[in-house]
Amino acid sequence: MLILESVHTFYGHIHALKGVTLTVNEGEIVTLIGSNGAGKTTTLNTISGVLDAQAGAIYLERSANGGQGRAAATGEPGIRLDRLPAHEIARLGVSQSPEGRKIFARLSVKENLAMGAFARSDADGIQSDLARVLELFPRLEERLNQPGGTLSGGEQQMLAIGRSLMSRPSILLLDEPSMGLAPLLVQQIFQIIREINARGTTILLVEQNAQAALQVAHRGYVLETGRIVLSGDAQQLLADPQVAEAYLGI
Amino acid sequence: MAGRSTSAQPLQLDWATVQKYAIRAFGFTILAIVLWRVITVGLAEGYPASFWISQALNGLVLGGVYALVALGYTLVYGILFMINFAHGEVMMIGGIAGFFALQFAQARGWMEGPWLVVVIALLSIMLIGMAASVLIGVTLERLAYRPLRQAPRLVPLISAIGASLFLQYSVLLIFGVSPHSYRKPELISGGLRLGDVFIPYTGAIIFFTSILLMLALYFIIQRTKLGRAMRAVAEDRATASLMGVDVNAVIVLTFMLGSALAGAAGVMLGFHNTVVKFNSGFIPGLKAFTAAVLGGIGNIPGAMFGALLLGLIEALGPSALGIPTEYKDVIAFTLLVLILIFRPSGLFGEVLSEKKA
Repeated sequence: MLILESVHTFYGHIHALKGVTLTVNEGEIVTLIGSNGAGKTTTLNTISGVLDAQAGAIYLERSANGGQGRAAATGEPGIRLDRLPAHEIARLGVSQSPEGRKIFARLSVKENLAMGAFARSDADGIQSDLARVLELFPRLEERLNQPGGTLSGGEQQMLAIGRSLMSRPSILLLDEPSMGLAPLLVQQIFQIIREINARGTTILLVEQNAQAALQVAHRGYVLETGRIVLSGDAQQLLADPQVAEAYLGI
Repeated sequence: MAGRSTSAQPLQLDWATVQKYAIRAFGFTILAIVLWRVITVGLAEGYPASFWISQALNGLVLGGVYALVALGYTLVYGILFMINFAHGEVMMIGGIAGFFALQFAQARGWMEGPWLVVVIALLSIMLIGMAASVLIGVTLERLAYRPLRQAPRLVPLISAIGASLFLQYSVLLIFGVSPHSYRKPELISGGLRLGDVFIPYTGAIIFFTSILLMLALYFIIQRTKLGRAMRAVAEDRATASLMGVDVNAVIVLTFMLGSALAGAAGVMLGFHNTVVKFNSGFIPGLKAFTAAVLGGIGNIPGAMFGALLLGLIEALGPSALGIPTEYKDVIAFTLLVLILIFRPSGLFGEVLSEKKA
């Protein structure tokens, strides 16, 4: 569903991504792990169009309906995302829940969720998705009219994920959803990630908590200074001695 | 600061601290002089209450117009963190366009027609002024500011000052140096007399139209999807774009809203001052900027309140201080200096977030 072909991204003169190639298939949870500064967030921001890819290609395959025609005509595997501005990528169903949550602090919880559905105009669908998000995160329902900035860290994370879900994404990009949360909450967040996926949303998960991420994911990629150094089945990576030493703290 | 933390040593004065206290002392001196003048001159004069009330009502009318212009400064600042110093000219061009629309209507005798015709004509004149300002505001954004979006913050500021001069002198070149005079239709030339207080119809109309437009803006920003997008972009552009918001479109929309309000203000100021010419946007523009700073730049209710307050101070100030009314501009700009000294974030200002600081 999402394909990155040797993507290069620069921050000014810093060569942050040096040819990242990865694939996310429909229905999967794929995790991208790696240490600080490896380029995990850069990868997500390049997919989302917040950063521009200087070389390489990013494709979004459209399932069955829609989009297929355009791709088939050019012989490419899907729609080229790397040439589109961020807001158009979001409108294609690629939704990022950014690192550090990035809640709109002065907008109410309800307005934050409404922002997630900004590109949609199907009032009924939005209403039912709102109900679904509130069912997933009952805490948010109690706080609907509070400014987003008054929520606790865990609640803000729930709001960030909920906001992304409000766009009814075909693929959800989660950046460090466990960052700064208490262990109990971390468990809860990963449980919810599994649940979202079980309901049919494809997920690309970026995490520093490699252990938890690999436990919930189907497949994983290991990123090191802008390059994919290892990839494979999540269980296989969990058992890999190299991964264990570098990322699992064993 | 240094003196407090190192109690063992005598008071240490670095240059920055000296400057800070010197500026404060200057501010307090101005305040003291103002207070002294008010007590010894203004209050001693013994004007009747009706005089003060008339002045205050005048001030509110002017304040309403300032508020419309101040909102444009504050809206743009809220999203781009830049001061659109050409905003006064955007207003002036609305006034010029309104003048020609008025002339057109007068030539066809609409201004002497039945009241409904006059009302519709006046509304159309205001809409034409607004449309002209919107056109100029959006063009400015596209040509003078957008190419500089990534530049250091001083650069678009200079571009704005350049745009301001460019617009003034273009209008001078095209329409000449002589003022264009707004002739009020008979229908709104009179006024209401309440005891000793006289309320001109134009003043009342200007005030209520301003309030109506402000309420409309507040509704757009607080209750509509586009307003929500504007607030989201003001907080965090990148995240808003992740939600599918076209940030450039929102910025254009912001300029459109601000310019529309300025255009309405330009036409109303034309009727209020009875003339408009190439530089008639400059001083009101600076006043409105002062009002926006007074209320806390970036803060929408702050701009409205700051402008009404500034209008009042300007109207009451000359009599209270016992100075000629021609010096009322001094009052506004002294106020600006005082705010910048004592409360740079404005009366309603919030603590500047990391992004703005």
